[in-house]
Amino acid sequence: MVRQILTAGERVMNINYRFDKEFVYEFDKHLDKNGPFCSFDMFHMAYDTAKSLVVPNFEGLQSPQYLPHMEFLDHQLDCAKQVVESMNGRAILADEVGLGKTIEAGLILKEYMIRGLAKKILILVPASLVNQWVKELNEKFFIPAVSQRKSYVWEQCDVVVSSLDTAKRPPHRDIVLEQHYDLMIIDEAHKLKNHKTKNYQFVNSLKKTYCLLLTATPVQNQLSDIFNLVTILKPGYLGSYDEFTKAFGNKRTALKQDEKLKELIQNVMVRNRREDTGVEWTKRNVKTVWINFTEEEQQVYDELDHDLVSSDPFTSITLKRELCSSREACYLSLKKMFEQNVQKYSGHSWSEEIIEKIEQLPHHSKAQKVVDILQNSSEKFIVFTEYRATQYYLQWFLQQHGISSVPFRGGFKRSKKEWMTQLFRNHAQVLVATEAGGEGINLQFCRNMIHYDLPWNPMRLEQRIGRVHRFGQKDDVNIYYLAIKNTIDEHLVSLLYEKIHLFERVIGDLDIILQQLNIPDLEDEIKDIYAESESPGEARIKLENLTAAFQHTTSSEVTHDGTTDYS
Amino acid sequence: MEQQTIHNYLHQFFTLNSCEVRENNTGKLTVTLNEELDRLLLNRPFYWEYIKKIGQEGEPATLTFISNPDRIEEKGEWIHFGSPRLHQIFQYQLKKGKYTMLYEQAQKTPLNPWLVVNIKISYIGQQKKDEILSIGLHLINGIMVFEFMEKIKNMDFSTVIPDYSFTISPIIRIHSGYKRIETYIEQYLNSMNHKWAEESFSKYEKEKNILTHFYESYLQAANDEEQEQLTVRYDNELDHLQKRLLPKIDIEPINGGVFYFSEKSETFLLH
Repeated sequence: MVRQILTAGERVMNINYRFDKEFVYEFDKHLDKNGPFCSFDMFHMAYDTAKSLVVPNFEGLQSPQYLPHMEFLDHQLDCAKQVVESMNGRAILADEVGLGKTIEAGLILKEYMIRGLAKKILILVPASLVNQWVKELNEKFFIPAVSQRKSYVWEQCDVVVSSLDTAKRPPHRDIVLEQHYDLMIIDEAHKLKNHKTKNYQFVNSLKKTYCLLLTATPVQNQLSDIFNLVTILKPGYLGSYDEFTKAFGNKRTALKQDEKLKELIQNVMVRNRREDTGVEWTKRNVKTVWINFTEEEQQVYDELDHDLVSSDPFTSITLKRELCSSREACYLSLKKMFEQNVQKYSGHSWSEEIIEKIEQLPHHSKAQKVVDILQNSSEKFIVFTEYRATQYYLQWFLQQHGISSVPFRGGFKRSKKEWMTQLFRNHAQVLVATEAGGEGINLQFCRNMIHYDLPWNPMRLEQRIGRVHRFGQKDDVNIYYLAIKNTIDEHLVSLLYEKIHLFERVIGDLDIILQQLNIPDLEDEIKDIYAESESPGEARIKLENLTAAFQHTTSSEVTHDGTTDYS
Repeated sequence: MEQQTIHNYLHQFFTLNSCEVRENNTGKLTVTLNEELDRLLLNRPFYWEYIKKIGQEGEPATLTFISNPDRIEEKGEWIHFGSPRLHQIFQYQLKKGKYTMLYEQAQKTPLNPWLVVNIKISYIGQQKKDEILSIGLHLINGIMVFEFMEKIKNMDFSTVIPDYSFTISPIIRIHSGYKRIETYIEQYLNSMNHKWAEESFSKYEKEKNILTHFYESYLQAANDEEQEQLTVRYDNELDHLQKRLLPKIDIEPINGGVFYFSEKSETFLLH
């Protein structure tokens, strides 16, 4: 039945009373058949059970008491509370990387499940994260999530984790569109910033009551990014597109400067920054270790300036970077180069000589340094290199010195990654990795990291460090960077890395600064500088300019309002 | 539920369900299950199918539950309020204790019938909360008594009529008795001030206006085909909004039974 009430604002409100109809018929059947009936103790115990499952208040979170093994951080609990209590379960979770957006989403999901408001749940995440989500929901939150494998799970299972690409493809698409989801979660939601894409339209047409969008970068390029995200959650909340651009323009900065917009966004987005969390982060000790090439090595390095290769700056830079890593990496590239361009190189005495010289080089000075560091410690180390060839070489070289190591590559299957992590944890001193290994592999049990060679993209560096310097790391973290004097290494380290203190920076900051400088990819930027410069001197000046721009942006960020946050 | 409460709950649960308790001290409980609970908790249908096929009884498993945080390292299953295991047990208990017919243990006396229903009321708006009512209805004179379970929790009942006692037939039938309880709940809900519902409703109206304005602004410029798509989308969104914010109240019985009381006890119940 429906009860009508005249509200304070003179509006007619209906409250729907929904009486259960089954119970009394079932009871009647039992009476007819004279049973089965339970004892008074059983009856009373069922009543007590129901009482213990009651949610007595509208406010507050029930979920933490269901998860006593978890230690939630204040900002995570606050976020969950805010989303449930004042955002009615439709929100953008936009914490900086590493603050636990997944945990927040899990808490909210659990809360709605406990309160009986969510049963049918869809979680869309990048393909590489599907298993990780399933595992975390099951182990940390006791939520029986399954990953999408066969088309039938959509209908049969209540909590399904899938990639967006799979869900939107036939035959899944039509089944998914049929379902009514109580709660939908989308991880890495910034991929939905463009409303013209198939992904966006697919997500928009799904039936969902509550909805969480997770992203660390709610605005990547233009202000319309946030308009499109909010429009998935609450169509019309920011007006139509025309109204929105008319009112606020399309500059990212409006989000920080326009008070009205800021306030509007705050009602649908939670964004915590590292310094707001009040959590004491363990320290990062950063040490640059300078190494000198041996005379032979330096000779080969200088040979790479030969006219034959220096005419193509990209090639020259690549070969130099490789030689700074290992002779193997450089050797393989040269070989390939000669094979692909026989006409140019064959018969040229330089080609033969350089190959010969590389073959005769003794052990790489950097590798020797790594062995020195490792032999002076009994702790575990992660060594990162950019090159597969160097990885093989290092493993072999460490073994020669009686140091046990396991390899790690981004291309490994998930199960292999986990297996290698396990081996590293229990048996080996060193993990030699070529990539950060993707999100979700946690290596907090290790606190030492050697950057054997330098990624030119600081985001990559931050992802590497993020594997060990994150929640759960109890000790200070030691980061070593190995650089060779009088080489391309030196330019970069002294300029970008030492002056701008990239190592100490958090990724969120960097992200924002790069966007403000309109640099989509720092690595490309640096390559361009080298490629377009006539001389090393010119490259150096350009790099210094870039550094200055960085420093300028950083200081203006801080003086502006002490924060780079939007919200 | 506190850890100690969980321990006591489990002990009572397994005892009531006639499982043998082998160890019971300071937050550690070891029990040998019966077949039904083994099938429920361990989910090993092949074992049971096999054992039945070869004509044997089967051996239910023995489980150890640890509820004391200091003993978490010991062998056994760590159990707490969020454990899926505990919730399996909760659901089982709710099912098992749903219907009853009970007689007060009183000698040589007429026994009057009562309908007892425990009911969960869920108030659902922006958020949700629950309330439990326990109601007893006299099936002869229609008198209603509240907080009924509290009042009878220390009495003795049995599932058979005690010797030399006899029951009086109800005048009010179960269906109409149950209807009276529903009517009472309706009045109870009508008499309340539902501030939560008003808040939720005004939020609904606000969001609905925004939504309507949004789609209207696009509809004007749209061609026929687009208009149709927009209308579908609008209806879809409005449906989400209604599900999320329109206030409603669910009324769902937890369990119920017919209880027979002596007149002496009725005097106590009515006070």
